[in-house]
Amino acid sequence: MSDLDKAIGLLKDCQIIPEDQVRDLCARAQELLIEERNVQVVDAPVTICGDIHGQFHDLITLFEHGGQCPDTNYLFLGDFVDRGFYSLESFLLLLCLKVRYPDRITLIRGNHESRQITTVYGFYDECIRKYGSANVWRYCCDVFDYLALGALVGGPGGVFCVHGGLSPAVKSLDQIRLIDRKQEVPHEGAMCDLLWSDPDDIDGWGVSPRGAGYLFGADKVKEFNHNNDLSLIARAHQLVMEGYKEMFDGEIVTVWSAPNYCYRCGNVAAILTIDDKLTRTYEVFEAAPQESKGMPAKKPAADYFL
Amino acid sequence: MTGYQFPSQDSDPLYHFNVSALGAPAVSRLGWSVYSSKKPIMSANEIERATERLTIPMPEMIFGNNYIVVAHKSGWSLGFNAIDALDLVAKHGNPQGGLVKVAYSDAWMNDKKKSSGEVHQVVKPFDWTYTTSYQGTPASSLVSFERTSETIPLGRLRRPDPILFFDDVVLFEDELGDNGITIVSVKIRVMEERLFLLCRFFMRVDDVLFRIRDTRLFIEFADNKILREYTVKQDSYENVKRKIRHSAGDLGLYLRDANWVAEQLPVVETFTETSTIPVIN
Repeated sequence: MSDLDKAIGLLKDCQIIPEDQVRDLCARAQELLIEERNVQVVDAPVTICGDIHGQFHDLITLFEHGGQCPDTNYLFLGDFVDRGFYSLESFLLLLCLKVRYPDRITLIRGNHESRQITTVYGFYDECIRKYGSANVWRYCCDVFDYLALGALVGGPGGVFCVHGGLSPAVKSLDQIRLIDRKQEVPHEGAMCDLLWSDPDDIDGWGVSPRGAGYLFGADKVKEFNHNNDLSLIARAHQLVMEGYKEMFDGEIVTVWSAPNYCYRCGNVAAILTIDDKLTRTYEVFEAAPQESKGMPAKKPAADYFL
Repeated sequence: MTGYQFPSQDSDPLYHFNVSALGAPAVSRLGWSVYSSKKPIMSANEIERATERLTIPMPEMIFGNNYIVVAHKSGWSLGFNAIDALDLVAKHGNPQGGLVKVAYSDAWMNDKKKSSGEVHQVVKPFDWTYTTSYQGTPASSLVSFERTSETIPLGRLRRPDPILFFDDVVLFEDELGDNGITIVSVKIRVMEERLFLLCRFFMRVDDVLFRIRDTRLFIEFADNKILREYTVKQDSYENVKRKIRHSAGDLGLYLRDANWVAEQLPVVETFTETSTIPVIN
């Protein structure tokens, strides 16, 4: 049994691997990812998964529903880390699978795969807590910088996969291919928009009420799909109670793969399989039972708050 | 028939606590009852209806079917639910004046102007921080509050009296597009002689601002004394960050802890009100 298979076995049991192994794993992953294009071409059939957010036990459940890698070909739309309690185990397992079966799993970047966001939303703290230093966090962040920005499934009439959505700076897939992606996610520009923007019931482009970030309407989705010979944009980034939500006459879908998000939302999760005829099949699944994974009990502990 | 009905028609009242249909209370003491409900976030259909009704986008995690209701057998009641809390959010506004902006907004806007000929407008500006002055939903015209110089007797609440019932219910939460957090939650504890409830709005906009708005409800069962205190606190992110001791290690742990932040923020406004239960003939 190779070291990699041993690591996969440990991680599947939700155990972490030694720091020097993480360093080697991240170095090997970088070597692979550097060869990938900004828009990775992926063959159908493939199973597309949305946000995971460190919900390791639910990731294991996802594989039980979708089939194990490499039997099933997977595409993850980013946001592997932050929020949940097991970002490390989740991301390292996915990374091990990537190195072990590079042609059977594709990982693209989400807005949480960033140094700045992970210092605020949990992954950095988790690395410090589990390893006692920031080294592992640094190795992982270096991998984040090499992740593809999107993927194209199924050739003509196919599916464009991206974490957030469209950008007014991007009219064609070729423009995405020109981005220099090997950097921290910038605060502005095409790369930022692809990881951050959201569809909305508006005409054209709009700026989010927060004062930064784009919203895009049905017309922009249809224009982009038409110009790039696509039938669907598959994206993640937004929580959906039902696990997935198609919008704009089925030309864009949000896929969400973290059931009972943050261990309290009560939502179901979904994964989307695109077969070689580009038929869509959604598989919906629920969270693993909380008591089985050492989660905090549902009943809140009484306290003498004032 | 559930006790809390989500409004489905424009003609419906925005809230509808029908206490008699709430089912069994979680706890009852000396004529007072507490009802609580914890359900999953709202479905896509419910969110669509709520968005139409409230005319603003719903927060990311909206627990529209959660509530805590405190009711007296006389008909007096005060309930807490997400939809009513959201109805008090500023639904219009000007991003250039008044509304909070994320830390990098100016830089982002300026870069946009330089890099693209197209100028894109902020769509449907509203208070995306979901700041609300919500202090609960009264059952009906039977319930009114008036200012009082009395204050909630914290001494009695500090006593470690046995807690008969405790709950902690989130009404809504939004990660502000990964620029911070807004969370509104309601905690209640019921002791043998009194109950105490805290409905807290907590907001952190990273590198910009902290806000807390607390509604505290105190009820002494023996004399039906009702006191409600509302407190507004606010300070800049920088000022709060400066209060963390340099030796304290991870800043994030402090800045995410609403209780710690609450102790650091200066009080902007506070007042206490009282209410009386109707006389039962």
